[in-house]
Amino acid sequence: MSITRIKPQHFAGVMALLIVAGFLLPHVANRGIVFLGGVVAINMVFGIAFNIAFQKAGILSFGNAMFFATGAYATGYMITQVPQIPFLLMIALSGLAGALLALITGLLALRRSSGVYFAVITLAVGELIHVLITKMDFLGRNDGMVGVFRPTLDFAVFQIDLSQGDSYYYFIILSCAVLISILWVLWSNRFGRALQTVKSDPMRADFLGTDINRKRLQALVLSGAATALAGALFAPWAQIVTPDLAHWSQSTMPLLFALLGGTAFFFGPVVGAVLFSVLEYNTRTLVGISDLMVGGLLLAVVLAVPGGVLGLLKSVIARKPAKSLVRKEKNP
Amino acid sequence: MTGELITIAFNALIWSMATFLIASGLTLVFGILHVLNFSHGGFFMIGAYVAYTVLEQFGATVPLWAYLMAAIVAAAAMGTAGAAVDQVVFRRLKNFEGVYVLIATYALLLVCDGFVKLVWGLNYHSVSPPESLLGVLFAGGAILPHFSIFVVLAGLLTFLVLEAVLNHTSVGRTLQAIAADPWMAQVLGINVSSVYRWTMIVGFALAGLAGGLLVANQSLSPDLAGIFILQAFGVVIVGGMGSIRGAFIAAILLGFVEAISATYLPSYPGVLFFATIAAVLILRPEGLLGRATT
Amino acid sequence: MDSRVRDVRITTEEDSMTHLKRRTVIGGLGASALTAPFLTRTAWAQSDEPIKIGVVTSLSGPQEFIGSFVLNGCKIAVNQINAQGGVMGRELVLEVRDDRANPADATAAARELIGLGAHLQIGTISSAVALAMGPLMSQEGGVVITCGAGSEKINHENYNKHVFRPGDGPYMRMRAQAQLMAERQPEVTSWTGIIPDHEYGRTTWAVFVDGLLEFYPDIAGVQPEIIDPIIVPYGAGDYRSFITQAARSSAKGIYNSTYGGDSVTLFQQAKPYRLFEDRILMDSANEFIVAGALGTQTPPHWTGIHWYHETNKGNEMSDQLYADYVEMTGDTTPMGWLAEAHAGIYAYAKAIEKAGSTETDAVISGLKGLVWQTVTGERTMRAEDNQAIKDVELIYIEPKPDTEKGYAVTDYVKVEGTSVIEPPSPGQAVELRSPT
Repeated sequence: MSITRIKPQHFAGVMALLIVAGFLLPHVANRGIVFLGGVVAINMVFGIAFNIAFQKAGILSFGNAMFFATGAYATGYMITQVPQIPFLLMIALSGLAGALLALITGLLALRRSSGVYFAVITLAVGELIHVLITKMDFLGRNDGMVGVFRPTLDFAVFQIDLSQGDSYYYFIILSCAVLISILWVLWSNRFGRALQTVKSDPMRADFLGTDINRKRLQALVLSGAATALAGALFAPWAQIVTPDLAHWSQSTMPLLFALLGGTAFFFGPVVGAVLFSVLEYNTRTLVGISDLMVGGLLLAVVLAVPGGVLGLLKSVIARKPAKSLVRKEKNP
Repeated sequence: MTGELITIAFNALIWSMATFLIASGLTLVFGILHVLNFSHGGFFMIGAYVAYTVLEQFGATVPLWAYLMAAIVAAAAMGTAGAAVDQVVFRRLKNFEGVYVLIATYALLLVCDGFVKLVWGLNYHSVSPPESLLGVLFAGGAILPHFSIFVVLAGLLTFLVLEAVLNHTSVGRTLQAIAADPWMAQVLGINVSSVYRWTMIVGFALAGLAGGLLVANQSLSPDLAGIFILQAFGVVIVGGMGSIRGAFIAAILLGFVEAISATYLPSYPGVLFFATIAAVLILRPEGLLGRATT
Repeated sequence: MDSRVRDVRITTEEDSMTHLKRRTVIGGLGASALTAPFLTRTAWAQSDEPIKIGVVTSLSGPQEFIGSFVLNGCKIAVNQINAQGGVMGRELVLEVRDDRANPADATAAARELIGLGAHLQIGTISSAVALAMGPLMSQEGGVVITCGAGSEKINHENYNKHVFRPGDGPYMRMRAQAQLMAERQPEVTSWTGIIPDHEYGRTTWAVFVDGLLEFYPDIAGVQPEIIDPIIVPYGAGDYRSFITQAARSSAKGIYNSTYGGDSVTLFQQAKPYRLFEDRILMDSANEFIVAGALGTQTPPHWTGIHWYHETNKGNEMSDQLYADYVEMTGDTTPMGWLAEAHAGIYAYAKAIEKAGSTETDAVISGLKGLVWQTVTGERTMRAEDNQAIKDVELIYIEPKPDTEKGYAVTDYVKVEGTSVIEPPSPGQAVELRSPT
């Protein structure tokens, strides 16, 4: 499957559109939707972080919830226990914690397995982390941590109180924009291309002197760190961190986003995260049959549009000129 | 002391054989089609509900023949469901990456959950073991309920039948050929597509059979699928994905891990189980009896 | 105690989470709030518009079963109140959302409902959700009435003035169970527990032990023997290892606080081991769940219940709730969560009338110290910690093969709430007696 490249100016255009949409949301929607908007932005990072490892390096992880939970718990713990640490440093440390966990997982498992096998190892490790969280007193066991407040950003000369109004929401939008941009650079630069070779033609990559295992490990660590950063942003947004975040069903979320939008596209998970939220929001009052709805729709998407929504759009667009060409030939 | 050891060993065996019953269909499908079927637990659950519906006709006392018949009805129903799922889902996804199939089976699991709630509602239900299996056996100070012995024997029998079919019949040799190299099997004139369909049917029927045989083993609720699916996954991956014999050994290993941790590490249920799975996979990623990774 | 109950301290602005740096959101929001089309609830508040009550409860996931009772209880109460002319001449309407028993989904739904003008909410079942609601409600300016959320932290460590519990708290429920045992079974002096591996499970056991240590010496005149409980995992398919351990225990009384399907599995698997024969079984909160599933296989046991219609026969509200429920669903075995939601809606109605307003602060002060009639009799919402003072109900269930359901309630009691409730200590944990 070929991977679509995006030109920098196109990328900048899409990002600008997303940011403007994000900034407009609080002015047109109620607070519940604004909250979901923040969750969607975080989910975009969650999805892209998964997809970069999956699509670029061929790493299928079924345990990304553990990285997300690591970031959320790390930030939640620091905010409630050591609030004197500057907030941006907390977020950075949380990302580091995710990177570390990914490194350990990768060192232990990545060299020895791949494909669905690696997926089930991450599933097992993720579930182990989930069970461990529910046993840790300092993490609040099953009840999780409550009272994860939104701190103040201190820039010495001025301060921004993130607990005020929608300021934390705007902070999420900007942070996610930055993270998505960084991930895009890594997706399209030499690093990303090297990963691509590792995935599509490991023999050739090996022959060319690329250390395959090293590249795959780097991709996993990147994915883990970015996922943990998304989790770190999430903790003060929900103001509560619970073990649900580490549950294996949570690990299927980024996969769903990527598949829904189209794994071949950088913006696939972005589209998927938005669509999934819209879908969930519109079925929220259909109580009692939500499982049937989500499951059925998911099945329909996988069966009917396996390339994701963007894949469908691309094939529609690609077909159109072809058709008009045919027409031209008929009516010269 | 011997009583305690017998108790631990017997508890381990019940867990092992109950889990193996569920995992057998899962591992068969994985071995032949290389599909990790998330929805297997869902069809196990529906099988149990089907058996429950059949057994409701008998009231409070269920004769053993009726219990076995209900399990066969459940197996037949789920086998039919397997044929339908194969036609509608797996056949269409034949040429896609494994991850799509994985997600499709996850979606199917959600559909199963919803289906059970719609048809049988949210109430908790239970089925009494067959009346001839209500007694207990005393052995060296340990109590061995007859129904538990029945579960252990059912698991053992299922294992022996599957082993015999896979290793000592022409059907089994065909299956092994396809599992090893479907392309070569096709070239040799085997109808691979038809074999895939039948594997699916048998795999799902095994889920239904497990549901029927274990319907009196625990409560019935829409949570049932989730309770067993991770357990069965653990057995399948530790055993070496696709190996029936491996799954059997893994079920026994993990059963002992569970029984020992329940007895000596009671404050940390689940930790030893997942730690064992992670450890086995890190030391032997292909599982105990698995082939080399792909 | 009564004088303290009336001591309405609505000026206690600072709740236990002072570090939340809560601000009055309406004032601090600025331009975005003014331009948002849905954020106009203050404008509606004084009109004749219906009063919207948000129901955020579990309508999928593991607590869906209880959520269905909560929703029905709300519906019946709203229908009854509207049939009698509504509240201050205004109709009550419900806006229903699913919380999936998950704090993130619950808070998103709660925020959305506040945006739609339903800032008075009800229905929380899960403890984790209840704990998440406090900070959210104080930030967004809403109120929530829980329906069965059991955590003791709600009115202690994590007390928040925006969260109310109109039903049994864990302290009163478990201590009432211990008191009843000291009265009825003074000869059963050795106790152990089957406790789910969960915060709440450990709390139920600790409080039950506290009750045993207080009431057995007082009432039965003996010091009870406390035997270490068996901790069991959640959602397992096989409890035999735990059952065989419990069966070896010398305890004559067993306290069970496992729940739902886990209890059904456990009791079913325990039968051949005769775990509950010759022992007294006290169940924390399963109401009819276990008996309904096991039928004639049910071991005889006591269980706590939020409301049992036979116990309250003669109470007009109770008889009416039962009649309305049977008419609505065709089911003749309502469970107590129905009454929790019903009592919660009535609490809102009375508090709004008392305060003469549907504004958040007015309703909070209306609820604090509120004395209102419910299907279980009069309740008082303790002003200090938003915990209702009410009687605790227990029923004794025995298998009855010749009945349609296979079981029957053969005894029921009410334990006086004031004799078992803990003193209020918002923001602080309660100190419990423990075996030396």
